[in-house]
Amino acid sequence: MLAYLQSYLSQPVTPGEAGNYVWATIYVVAVVIGVSLAVLAMNWIERKALAHMQVRLGPMRVGPHGLLQPVADAVKLLIKEDIMPEGADKLVFWAAPVMIIITAWTTFLVVPFGREHAVTDMNIGILFILGVSSLSVLSIVMAGWASNSHYPLLGSLRSSAQMVSYEVAMGLAVICAILMTGLGGTGMYLRHGGETAALGAGTLSMIGIVQAQAAQGTWFIFKLFPLGLAAFVIFAIAMVAETNRAPFDLPEAESELVAGFHTEYSGFRWSLFMLAEYSGMVAVSSIAVTLWLGGWLRPFATWHGPPIVIPHYWQGGALDFAASLLPALVVFLLALVCFIGVARMPKIPVFRIQAAGLAALGGALGLVGLVMLAPPVRDRVQDVFWFAMKVAGFMYLFIWYRATFPRYRFDQLMKVGWKGLLPVALGVVIVTAVVGVLR
Amino acid sequence: MSLAPLLRKMFFVDLIKGMAVTFHYQDPKEIYTEQYPLERPEIAGRYRGLPRLNVNPETQETLCIACDLCALACPERLIVIRSERNAASKRKELTTWTVDASRCMFCGLCEEACPTDCLELSQDFEFATYRRDFVFGRERLERGPEPTVYRK
Repeated sequence: MLAYLQSYLSQPVTPGEAGNYVWATIYVVAVVIGVSLAVLAMNWIERKALAHMQVRLGPMRVGPHGLLQPVADAVKLLIKEDIMPEGADKLVFWAAPVMIIITAWTTFLVVPFGREHAVTDMNIGILFILGVSSLSVLSIVMAGWASNSHYPLLGSLRSSAQMVSYEVAMGLAVICAILMTGLGGTGMYLRHGGETAALGAGTLSMIGIVQAQAAQGTWFIFKLFPLGLAAFVIFAIAMVAETNRAPFDLPEAESELVAGFHTEYSGFRWSLFMLAEYSGMVAVSSIAVTLWLGGWLRPFATWHGPPIVIPHYWQGGALDFAASLLPALVVFLLALVCFIGVARMPKIPVFRIQAAGLAALGGALGLVGLVMLAPPVRDRVQDVFWFAMKVAGFMYLFIWYRATFPRYRFDQLMKVGWKGLLPVALGVVIVTAVVGVLR
Repeated sequence: MSLAPLLRKMFFVDLIKGMAVTFHYQDPKEIYTEQYPLERPEIAGRYRGLPRLNVNPETQETLCIACDLCALACPERLIVIRSERNAASKRKELTTWTVDASRCMFCGLCEEACPTDCLELSQDFEFATYRRDFVFGRERLERGPEPTVYRK
């Protein structure tokens, strides 16, 4: 058993490729827990960042600077009464949140957090993600229909129209990135370290796409200069619309439709919708990072710096060494912030529990940082760290959009989708294809 | 569409400007929220809050001469004054002075009517109580507000 577990660790592939069921299960559980934690963190960060952008404070009372607010909210949602409207279609009403959470989490099967850190690698990875995430519109329509109420129905109708029309531009932008994987003969499907090379062919595998970027030595956002950027911008707009976030949050427009498709939902079912929305944001950000921002590759991955040797610890470029220490340093920095918070806490009995909790968090983070300095962990954590950093950047962008832009009117939304993004995306795809062939 | 607006639209110039604005507002110095029970607001000097009965700072005696002018001036007739003649000094002396804050509209006419400097609308805005009793008596009005001070 132990040998079976250890046999995977020596292979530089994902558990799905290695056919190791135990590790695959561990990865699935880790991804579910990680995404849920990210949603909790995102909940807090969104409320804080949004509040600061609107010159407010945001949550301040539950824990230091409201740090425990998401936990308190989660507890509240779980102990709320489970209400199902009388006229609702019971089965569909029950199935909609279950389905949306399944679709939201299934996409993470193929998201490559690192070369070894994905549940599995599919040769149609990006297609799989797009297909599964498109299913979420079905559950939104189910929720709206089953509620038997006018606001949810209106919200879900808007949602279906919006998601269908933005999926087209999104798909075209994705095609543009996939075309780029084939450039310069680097797009072979690098399943086994690159020896099976079908020259000139692109790849749909999420891992293959990142490896193509590594092989071409540039992220696709900078590839064929304005083209990659244009495709990325189209995707970045379409992905906001796909996840129903401001300024495209018409399906749940608070000021018009109460809460849109989840008006009739409360308690645990509602929290599933919330979880699915934020997981969906993480998922589309992961797609954008994988396709255009080099996935798990660190910035300037082609620069290695002068070689240095530290006995029993490091052998290689200085820049690589600095980058490999960065994740641990970031964790140490967070721990330091915790300890500064403890030091600045008022010295009165009421705050003793808070201070102890914050100190314990800081201590735990410090220990995690120390573990991350150990060479085997250090080398494995790298990829995940850079991927998470890039996704976090996108999540911040989502909040930033929400704080800045007013909501589109429905006709404007359709105009942007069909008359703006779609023609531009078509043009970008055609020009990319032509330039790619001519080169 | 002429060229300049088209270019502005194509490169999202206005959107980026808007995003710059929201980004700058993230500075914690910009926060406008005040954490009320911990931080107390600065009330403007002209604010008309609960009436206060001033006392002579040296003798701690009330400045009120029980002339009843404030009660007459009150459009809501919610000021009640009782007084009695002091047989020794031949002066009218105040016994009760109440104001029903639940009906008061803080117009300040009583303040205008007061011939001495006794009656004054203070900056006191905290009259929430645990009883349904908004009739404030003389002690409360002379003492002024005593808010709970919370430690940060």
